Amino acid sequence: MVVLVAVAMVTQVTGCQRRRASGAGADGVSPVRGMPADQVYGQGLGPRFGMDGRQVEGQFQAVLFGFDSSQIVDTERAKLEDVARHMRRNPNARLIVEGHCDERGSREYNLSLGERRALAARAYLIGLGITGDRIQTRSYGSERPVAFGHHEEAWRQNRRAEFVIVQ
Amino acid sequence: MRYQAIYFITLFGMAFYSMVDTASAQIRIAKPAGEKIGVSLNGLSVEPGPAADLFIATLRDNIERSGWLTVAGSGRADVAVSGSVNQRRNDVRAEIRALGVHNQQNYLRQAYRHPADDVRRLAHQVVDDLVYAVTGHRGIATTRIIFVGQEGRNRELFMMDADGGNFEQWTRDGSVSVRPRWGPTPDKVTYTSYINHFPDVFLIDLRSGNRTAVAEYSGLNSGGVLSPSGNEMAVILSKDGNPELYVKDLKSGRLTRLTHTLQANEASPSWSPDGRHIVYVSDQAGPPHLYIISRQGGPPRRLTTRGNENVAPDWGPNGLIAFASRVGRQYHLVVMDPEGNEVYRFSDRGDASYEDPSWAPNGRHIVLGRRENFRSQIYIIDTLGDPPVRLTPSEGEWLSPAWSPHQP
Repeated sequence: MVVLVAVAMVTQVTGCQRRRASGAGADGVSPVRGMPADQVYGQGLGPRFGMDGRQVEGQFQAVLFGFDSSQIVDTERAKLEDVARHMRRNPNARLIVEGHCDERGSREYNLSLGERRALAARAYLIGLGITGDRIQTRSYGSERPVAFGHHEEAWRQNRRAEFVIVQ
Repeated sequence: MRYQAIYFITLFGMAFYSMVDTASAQIRIAKPAGEKIGVSLNGLSVEPGPAADLFIATLRDNIERSGWLTVAGSGRADVAVSGSVNQRRNDVRAEIRALGVHNQQNYLRQAYRHPADDVRRLAHQVVDDLVYAVTGHRGIATTRIIFVGQEGRNRELFMMDADGGNFEQWTRDGSVSVRPRWGPTPDKVTYTSYINHFPDVFLIDLRSGNRTAVAEYSGLNSGGVLSPSGNEMAVILSKDGNPELYVKDLKSGRLTRLTHTLQANEASPSWSPDGRHIVYVSDQAGPPHLYIISRQGGPPRRLTTRGNENVAPDWGPNGLIAFASRVGRQYHLVVMDPEGNEVYRFSDRGDASYEDPSWAPNGRHIVLGRRENFRSQIYIIDTLGDPPVRLTPSEGEWLSPAWSPHQP
């Protein structure tokens, strides 16, 4: 219990943007295991879609991120594999990955951080064989929380990537 | 409110007090920091009525907010204002004279006429004319502030006069609006909106009310801000796979990419007053810090090293950069010169944070979001020491203000 309290205090102080967002810091760890960081963030986006067409939200579980990280951690990989399976079975389906942050920190900086989370998830899906042109990104930064409240549990749920299928 | 302001070098304070305007023969009044020039309004003859009453109330209020002047009794005044204010049909007419009490200098002699239903604006103009005539400084009473307000789940743009009056909602998009910024003239504003379902940068022409998308590439478009010439826009784009800083030529549409940091985020650009440099946020060294890069590109120079992180810079018309610096869990307001010397710091002795600062065109006042207990209000901070002033209603969530340039 004492340990839990200490962890909560540390995370409260450090916030969404404490460390290098990519996770590709001094330790050289890429946000997507097995893919160099430069490749994750070196793949340009295709023409925009999703302004119209039928959009389905909430079909997949949100991928969660550590504070100030856009790293896809091992426990979240199965969620992305679900998304990739759907995309393979539905070759006409397209996908918007939405990146979100918790409420702490500069709103404009959080827009960039949320975008890097969405781009990391996109790179992971490309690594699973989904064509990049089928995947757009949309960062909401800290503008669209899913959990309200000003505590670590809410912040944990808000640091996420969501998946919107465009038919 | 408990707060503390720290001045690091006297040069900053002194710069404001070189009061003799060499461009004109007029003798200005100079006072040391902390002392104000007393203005007596006892000689002003006002015909009672709603518009004239509002005029006088706004005049008194704006004199106090100017930073340089204060309303004083006849015995303590340095400047005596006389003349008349009355309403004729739908107009208010004012004849204003301002005379130096000690030097008999004739500072102002001006006749005004303005619609009675807009009489606050007339008072703004008279105060700015008075401030300029007496001190040589351009006033802020006629300037405006644009900002973001929470509307249910959405965030819309709002606008108000620099004294909090003429409060109006500008967008009703049912969408998210992020951090508006003024262009070099007070008729142009850029901001990020999700009205087309993605974060795009829009340019608003406030005279026509027209709004056009100026960055709607795939991925993220944010932080758009016009250059001092108005011909270019610095902007953050992720179309090439990662959020990076670009400059867009608004006539040709040509993009120049300035940063190549595939392992880092960029955000929040702001132009130097001469348009030759851009300050922006990057986390390439770990936490977000401020960097300065040439408009032509090349290697950036890191500006900040202190603080847990430094975000949301605004490069002011005085050449100084205001930004939010996190120390522990609090954000302080910090002002720094482009060489990295900290010249001013404002922090709260309680828990409040100061976010998204924006310089007034006078280079003295700063408008910002003050966040306490996870709620944000808009305040004005005076870097020369007048107490902070709240502008927004106590109910609601108000954030990301931007202070307009002077009216031409």
